[in-house]
Amino acid sequence: MEGYKLEGDIITINRELTSLDLFVRDFLDILKRYSDYLVVSGFVSISTGRTRGTEDVDIIFPIIKKDKFALLFEDLQKNGFWCYQNDDAEAAYEYIKNMQSIRFARTDEMFPNIEFIPFNEKKKAKYFEYSHPQKIKIKDFEFKIPPIEFEILFKEIVLAGKKDIADALHLRTFFSKILKKEKFKEYEPIIKEELK
Amino acid sequence: MKKILDDLDYVVIYAKQLSKNKKLFEQQKRLIEDQIAASSSLFKNSFGKDFKQGARKYLKGIGLIA
Repeated sequence: MEGYKLEGDIITINRELTSLDLFVRDFLDILKRYSDYLVVSGFVSISTGRTRGTEDVDIIFPIIKKDKFALLFEDLQKNGFWCYQNDDAEAAYEYIKNMQSIRFARTDEMFPNIEFIPFNEKKKAKYFEYSHPQKIKIKDFEFKIPPIEFEILFKEIVLAGKKDIADALHLRTFFSKILKKEKFKEYEPIIKEELK
Repeated sequence: MKKILDDLDYVVIYAKQLSKNKKLFEQQKRLIEDQIAASSSLFKNSFGKDFKQGARKYLKGIGLIA
């Protein structure tokens, strides 16, 4: 049986759920009550089979108001997550307000953790990928990632570390049958803007 | 002369096999489960009862939080 299939606009990965998937799923189940999101970076490669260790899962979200954030924060705490930066929602929101990320892990655990990254419309690349989500499904866990071509180029052009180049190569190879050249052309100038 | 395979060559070989054969995901699952279990055990033993306090001290030490 093949490793994945594309049905409509959903890519289904043919594998069992891992503890890492369950961690991300539990976090997203709470987050979705308050905000939309996009899972980006390492978890995109790992969830599609790249075999390497990871400590954090990057999730971007459009900046939300303080009162909504406080509800989300309390919900996360009530459901078994703790925030690295602070136990107080108001103090944690100071980071968000300043467009800085904060991290969450399960109670009494250090890793894996979620790097929870706010963005606004000024962050062009983030706003673009967020506005063009690709759905991924593993068993009953469905979540949103950037378009695969976008993720590949971002890793190759912006991040460009050894790990990122390997991740991009994994995605290029694993999804070779469904990647579209015209999408690479469309996304490249958007991503190169990040470097200016 | 025979080419010596590097890390990226193995990434390609593995991804090609994975796209054809879902059984390889089982290896990946084992690696992930082992990593999470090892990390959990390490930090629980390191920080003991006041986990959060120990964890934040460690995180400050490695510069992950201010």
